[in-house]
Amino acid sequence: MLSIRNLHVTIQDEKLQTKTILRGVNLDVNPGEVHAIMGPNGSGKSTLSNVFAGREDYTITQGDITLDGVSLLDLAPEERARKGMFLAFQYPVEIPGVNNMYFLKAALNSLRKSRGLEPLDAMDCIQLIKSKIKEVGLDESFLHRAVNEGFSGGEKKRNEVLQMLILEPKVAILDETDSGLDIDALQMVAQGVNSLRSPERSFIVVTHYQRLLNYIVPDFVHVMLNGQIVKSGGKDLALELEEKGYGWLEGQASV
Amino acid sequence: MSIALVTPTWVENLWQQKSVQQSAWLAAQQTQAYAAFQRRGLPLRREEYWKYTDVGFLQSADFVATEAITKINALPVLPGSETSRLVILNGQYAANLSDVSGLPDGVIVTNIETALSSHADLVQAELSNTNDIKRFPFASLNLALLQTGAFIYVPKGTIVKPVIHILVIGGMQKQAAVNLRHLIIAGENADVSVCEEYRSVAAENDFTNVVTQIHAQENARVHCYKIQHEKIGSTHIAHTLIQQQKQSYVKTVNLSVGSRLTREDIQVNLDEDGSECDINGYFALSHDTQHADHHIQIDHRARHTTSDMTYKGVLDKKTHGVFNGMVYVHPDAQKTRSHQANHNLLLSKEAAIDTKPELEIYADDVKCAHGDTVGQLNLESLFFLRARGIDKAEALKMLTEAFAADVLDKVEHESVLLRMKQVLSEARL
Repeated sequence: MLSIRNLHVTIQDEKLQTKTILRGVNLDVNPGEVHAIMGPNGSGKSTLSNVFAGREDYTITQGDITLDGVSLLDLAPEERARKGMFLAFQYPVEIPGVNNMYFLKAALNSLRKSRGLEPLDAMDCIQLIKSKIKEVGLDESFLHRAVNEGFSGGEKKRNEVLQMLILEPKVAILDETDSGLDIDALQMVAQGVNSLRSPERSFIVVTHYQRLLNYIVPDFVHVMLNGQIVKSGGKDLALELEEKGYGWLEGQASV
Repeated sequence: MSIALVTPTWVENLWQQKSVQQSAWLAAQQTQAYAAFQRRGLPLRREEYWKYTDVGFLQSADFVATEAITKINALPVLPGSETSRLVILNGQYAANLSDVSGLPDGVIVTNIETALSSHADLVQAELSNTNDIKRFPFASLNLALLQTGAFIYVPKGTIVKPVIHILVIGGMQKQAAVNLRHLIIAGENADVSVCEEYRSVAAENDFTNVVTQIHAQENARVHCYKIQHEKIGSTHIAHTLIQQQKQSYVKTVNLSVGSRLTREDIQVNLDEDGSECDINGYFALSHDTQHADHHIQIDHRARHTTSDMTYKGVLDKKTHGVFNGMVYVHPDAQKTRSHQANHNLLLSKEAAIDTKPELEIYADDVKCAHGDTVGQLNLESLFFLRARGIDKAEALKMLTEAFAADVLDKVEHESVLLRMKQVLSEARL
């Protein structure tokens, strides 16, 4: 369903120097699969997540990302979202003045519209959102606050999972959703993901830590180093990495 | 240095064509005001007050006197039933479209021509309040060429619940020049809310010059809203003069999205102890080289006076904004508290804002704060919203609305808030 072919990505840093971040990434994600991408800081994991979602700061110099055979590269972020892509942000932004409920409603109805469905009216929307917010363990009062404003790190991540539950994407990418979370919040995030797991839906879980993978059991684990996937395996690979670190994989990148 | 001043031809023409005043008193005032304007001339950019706004094109403009128009296809009344209205069509009072029934006993809402004969003392007392010709040349021009305006008087202890809507409709005649003056007098302990609205039927390159005088007597409460969404060809010059007596409270919320050139001057005189004002504005400029200039001055002249000033602007394309907020604390105004803020959002690389907060304090026991910011839209927020499927235009709208929120939150009347939101959504900002 989702396919990444030979993806090369560069970014311009503050000094306007072009930096290569991804150097030929290949990955295939089929419906129903959960893929974990692990790797040290700076290996390109977050870049990959952001490129999926369509962030404009990056330049794609080679390769392609396709969803159901259609290239995503020319699509705006909102068009990707409407095709079923979802990125749970590593650092969800605070948006003062935009009410959380209003935001969730706008997002849900714009996706419904693109799928040819009638927009949900205010009452149905509130009911749906209220039923989902319980699952992520946030109080309803968070719906009446501005998006993420003054939320703790854990609350922001729960709010991300709430958005995922409401928008029901085809492919969800979780960019270090587990970092900085206590064990309760971590379990809640995992529960959210697991409740959405289905034969039609896929997940890409980007993480530093094997810990999350105890709760979200992946079908495949990939290791990213210097902008490439250098090793792929089953869920046991995560345990091996936890034990040995990443050092033993250095030099495996085929430049 | 002397400069040869030439009164613009259109001003001379309008002065000569002016119909004979029924009130001899006003006629005399107008002759004085006209002479004063002739001596003063149009303001120039080398004057500090006009440094960032060029009105030089008015010298060679060819504005004309308005013709009587009494019909309009649809009258845009404020939403909700609890409003009364006074309608001015193409610079003339439209009695047939106005409805000021259902107001409490003793409240007077009429046009200023009528009030000049029926309540001469009240009108004369306010109009004689001579303005500073150097700072407000257009106010003198306004008096000289005065056509009509609203007269609102709320007697002692009377509370008016419905918003009184002063609906000024222009854009009905090419190059029309409209000079209006509104007087709002709230007696002791009175409470009144007024909404001035300026809109045009079509873009006719017209000129609106309006003066609004608000006089809040002891312990009175006045809410004065203004919505300006004239079509882009028009020029809108406005001066609001607010006089406050003991313990009075005045709140203004100004929404400005229209006109090619807008100049708003607000002068607040906190003349007596304990008076308080809350002066707010939001301007959204989205047309080519549209220009809006807001000059606010608040004079604290007495003890325990309080002022709050919040202005926000959103500027797109090659538009230009000017904000000048001055808080002046006179020597006797001990225990003054004042807060001033101006925040601006630039949506394009070519948009610009000149903002200048000023504070002059001559008393030693006061608490004053001010701050200005100029920034760009948060691109992270924009990406976040888009990544959730909200399209770019909608996301921009959400973010600019959020930016406007703390100004719009000041509006206490639902019908006014609805109209403001409607105007903003039509302006796409």
